[in-house]
Amino acid sequence: MADPAIRGGRSGLGLVVENSTDYEARAITKSFAEVIVLREASVHFRPGEIHALVGENGAGKSTLLKVMAGVYSLDSGSLVLGGATLPPLSPREAQRRGIYLVPQEPRLMRDLSVAENLYLGALPTGRLGSVAWRSMNDTTGGLISSVGLRVHPRTLAGELSLAQQQLLECARALSHGCGIIFFDEPTSPLTAHDADKLFSLMDQMRGRGLTLGFISHRLDEVEAISDRITVLRDAAVVAREERGTATREKLVAAMIGRQLTVSRRTGHTSAPGAVMLDADEVFAPPAVRGMSVQVRAGEIVGLAGLVGSGRTEFAETLFGLRAPSSGTVRVGGRDITGRGPRRCIDSGLIYLAEDRGRTGIFADVDIVRNATSAIVGRLPRRARTFIRPRQEEELARAGAQRMDVRASSLGAPIKTLSGGNQQKVMLARWVLAEPRVAIFDEPTRGVDVGARESIFMTIESLTANGLAALVISSELEVLVRLCDRVYAVYEGRIVGEVAGADITLEALGQLVVGAS
Amino acid sequence: MTTARDIQTVLPPEEDRRQSRAMIELLRRREVQVVAAMIVIVAVSTAFHPYFWASANFGYILADSMVIALLALGETFVMLGRGIDLSVGSVMGLSAIIVGFQIQNHNMTLLPAVLLGAVIGVVLGLGNALLVAVVRLPPIIATLGTLGVYSGLEFVVTNGNQVDTIPNSMTNLGSNQVLPGIPEIFVYTLPLVLIAALVLRHTVFGRSIYAVGDDAEAAYKAGIGVQRVLFMTYLIAGLLAGLAGVVFLIYTSGASSTTGVNDNLSAIAAALIGGTALTGGRGGAFGALVGSVFLTVTLTAMSFAHMPDVWQPAGVGALVLLAVLFDRRARDASVARRSKRRRWRR
Amino acid sequence: MTTLALPRRWRLPGWGVCLLVALAAELIYFTLTTRHFADGGTGMLALTEQFVPIGLLALGLAMVILTGNIDLSVAANASLASVFAGTALEHGYGTLIAVLLAIAVGTAVGLFNGLVIAVLGIDSLLVTLATQFIVTSIETSVAGYSPPYGFASSFLRLGQGAIADVPVALLVFLLLAVATIAVVDGTTFGRSITLIGYSRRAADYTGITTRRALCAVFTLSGALAGVAGVLLAAYYNSAQPETGSILLLPAITAVVLGGVDIFGGRGRIGEVVIAVFLLGFLSQGMLIEGDSSLAVTMVTGLLLIGALVLKVMFERNFRASWAARMRQLRSPLSHLGRPG
Repeated sequence: MADPAIRGGRSGLGLVVENSTDYEARAITKSFAEVIVLREASVHFRPGEIHALVGENGAGKSTLLKVMAGVYSLDSGSLVLGGATLPPLSPREAQRRGIYLVPQEPRLMRDLSVAENLYLGALPTGRLGSVAWRSMNDTTGGLISSVGLRVHPRTLAGELSLAQQQLLECARALSHGCGIIFFDEPTSPLTAHDADKLFSLMDQMRGRGLTLGFISHRLDEVEAISDRITVLRDAAVVAREERGTATREKLVAAMIGRQLTVSRRTGHTSAPGAVMLDADEVFAPPAVRGMSVQVRAGEIVGLAGLVGSGRTEFAETLFGLRAPSSGTVRVGGRDITGRGPRRCIDSGLIYLAEDRGRTGIFADVDIVRNATSAIVGRLPRRARTFIRPRQEEELARAGAQRMDVRASSLGAPIKTLSGGNQQKVMLARWVLAEPRVAIFDEPTRGVDVGARESIFMTIESLTANGLAALVISSELEVLVRLCDRVYAVYEGRIVGEVAGADITLEALGQLVVGAS
Repeated sequence: MTTARDIQTVLPPEEDRRQSRAMIELLRRREVQVVAAMIVIVAVSTAFHPYFWASANFGYILADSMVIALLALGETFVMLGRGIDLSVGSVMGLSAIIVGFQIQNHNMTLLPAVLLGAVIGVVLGLGNALLVAVVRLPPIIATLGTLGVYSGLEFVVTNGNQVDTIPNSMTNLGSNQVLPGIPEIFVYTLPLVLIAALVLRHTVFGRSIYAVGDDAEAAYKAGIGVQRVLFMTYLIAGLLAGLAGVVFLIYTSGASSTTGVNDNLSAIAAALIGGTALTGGRGGAFGALVGSVFLTVTLTAMSFAHMPDVWQPAGVGALVLLAVLFDRRARDASVARRSKRRRWRR
Repeated sequence: MTTLALPRRWRLPGWGVCLLVALAAELIYFTLTTRHFADGGTGMLALTEQFVPIGLLALGLAMVILTGNIDLSVAANASLASVFAGTALEHGYGTLIAVLLAIAVGTAVGLFNGLVIAVLGIDSLLVTLATQFIVTSIETSVAGYSPPYGFASSFLRLGQGAIADVPVALLVFLLLAVATIAVVDGTTFGRSITLIGYSRRAADYTGITTRRALCAVFTLSGALAGVAGVLLAAYYNSAQPETGSILLLPAITAVVLGGVDIFGGRGRIGEVVIAVFLLGFLSQGMLIEGDSSLAVTMVTGLLLIGALVLKVMFERNFRASWAARMRQLRSPLSHLGRPG
């Protein structure tokens, strides 16, 4: 059952181009339970090209790649590989034909070694049917180093960083002899440095004639590396651009269907008020090594830093999800150090977490209960005990409307909403808690351009009404756009602070990598 | 076409050696810790009761632990796949009863008895395998159900009688000592452990169990027949439990309608102590062996300390809690270590 | 422009209706075919005394399972409580003391479970499995060679008496059932339980005091087991060690049959109550008909399996095509739980 490519010991970029051909999707239509997610979408991937898919969330990019990789079935249309129409695909079948999708979150077996992960489902056997460890490890070593992954083949996959796991997925694609490799939003969780490594790998692969496709929300990297760009909007392909003819304005216009002027940071008209959040010398080893931050009412303060610099851990420490080893945290003067989320919320501090899927939404629960989950204790009751359902619905509906949530019914499970709308429900949840201080952790992650603006405006209007906002983002443009002051975080420490007009991409870019 | 030039192992040799040494250390640690704890218990017990150290006593302990060892071995297979089997004790009991009656009333000899036990185990294990892998019930529910049915069957089959006569030719296997402290039955059971270890470590099937336990969906996408693998783990658990029933007869020379009812937990406890996690993906065959011996040693030490038998289940329960607590501490420590290491690499 | 519709107030109570229909059918069947089943209604009511303890266990279990955990020690806990009640009565203490002691003991065990699971963070399967055995040891030891029996009539009335032909035990159960439904559906605590079951981590992040809620849920389960123990001792007129394993299976079956998702979150206590009656009358009817208790156990086991299979098919999640539904059924993961 082992793949011929692996059995033969071929590996990595020495692969002959035989497996890499044209791959075309023709008029693909796909719906999930009466919701149309792809409407006659066509896209053509060619060998020796990097082809980017861009578009708002819910536009259908991820679905399209998944259909082409056999993860989803298509309702109508066809997939054409090297001129031949394909029968219905499964992921395994697609791999056999040379098509591999590197998922957004690499899923590896944490307790198995790198080599075993690479050869998952296709372990090479030697004498008497036992696993051929030595040859497997040797081949693995060669393969992973050719993609730039410098670890021992026997390292447990759980010990790899996210960037390393992605490289391992690339290695898997190559080891299966796949010549058509798709990446589903690979760079969202990566630092700029790791993203560069990935892009140079993709460049190498392009040079070898592989057919590459990737999804990204970051238009600058899309513009930098792609040969072709296909724009999707509302389940359909609306524009096709090539390197040279694509401009930012054209892309954005196609993505959201209207012209969007790139807005610059709006200055603050009123002076900020009293200090609402005062974190003093907070230590929470190993990630947080002494951070002090102050945020005033009406201010938007940013925390800039690379992924892994400790910002999220810092936020979690402030919110009481992690116990600090020393330091104090005050909200509106009240000491809430290490008190736990409930106390924080009741004192006026809320935290919009980064990982919406795991720590934010209750996927199968309806929108109403998702929206009110932070204030269940404050809901209107009968006899002081029993929650009044109608009043709860009213509250949720008001909150959702304020955040411009697009949903057909509030009784539907939140997982039926797009990423942007889910984030808006999360915002509604926290706004209902009437906070005085809000920490927004990567608020625009996985959110499309249109919803981004909406979220920016929400944050600005909240702070105009007195909220003290702390925004954590790895996208420096977001911080430049929003903040009055920005702290730079590097390896668990604050290494700099810039304010006002000094907040520029260059300045922040320098600080976050530890340069002074 | 690959050329030698394209493959470059960039890793410097020193780091290579250091990491592989670390790997071996990590693997061995849990078993070593358990053995160390066992030595402590033995030392303390012997200090108070010198007889504890006698080879006859050790023989009994080892023979006794073989029953649990086989159950724990089967349980390990199941737990590695992220499942659980709450019915292994009852399978053992039924096997002991049926085979026992054959020996007692129909003069069955050893080899056919062993075969019969194995067959009974497989048949009963088939029930679990079908419920979990084919009908797709959650393992807790499925094996709880079979636990009920099989314990009920124990009553039906015994019909008020019990097994109490096993010929000396068989029970001697439990008391005969090949070497001081090593009963004959140990010599016959050890190969099973070795085979299990080999299967788990060096066969594609064994490695698939780890993969399925770690991430069943990814395993499925990689082409591993997840349901087939799970099916086999429950069959194996049943088979080993059936064999355990025969060993039980040899060691205790009897069986009744309540045989095995407490051993479900002991099997899980032994597997846990030996390092197999309930969440799958970690652990192994030797862990089951070490865990069972540790369990038996501890329980024997308890009875030497004059604790009445009625407290033995409580003892096992307490050990389970301690084992899991200890496991968590160890994992937290290794996670902390890992995160430190990761910061370094950047 | 946002288009929002008011959520429907009433979810189609599909599964509950099924259960009610099945219950009605079963009662009619037994009344017509089995003598002494109904005895003009009072007989049927009297039968409930037999299975009400299981119902109480199911109430506690349902709450625990809603959080995504399990409590394997409930039945042993009930035994322990009955032993303590009996021992107290044997030593001359009054009914009230005995009842309070039993409930206290059950609560204490539940609290222990809760603390170890919630505070130490150990998997509930392992903890309650271990606790079950520890409790079994304790109760066997306390009960001694001859378990207490022959109690005062004031105590017996709890398990055998009736008020206007309605058994006291049944009243106790219904009272506690209504209370449980009210708590789970309408209170903050109930909301916490459900949300924890859907996603423990999201619950932590949204400010729910999960550790406190989990501890409370196991404590309540223990308390209900204590009450069950009292009723058991009163009904059988003797302390009941060793009933541990026997009652666990029907209790879990009732919860699962009642539509509670074994992985937490989904489920309604009201439907569990209906399932308790469904199961209870089924076993009683079979016993009166002359079937052995082994047959009852096996039918219970079959019901457990059947309920789960039916539930999966009934799930409104995939109104999608048959192909999708079949694929989901075939998916190797349908029993491995929701991710995260």
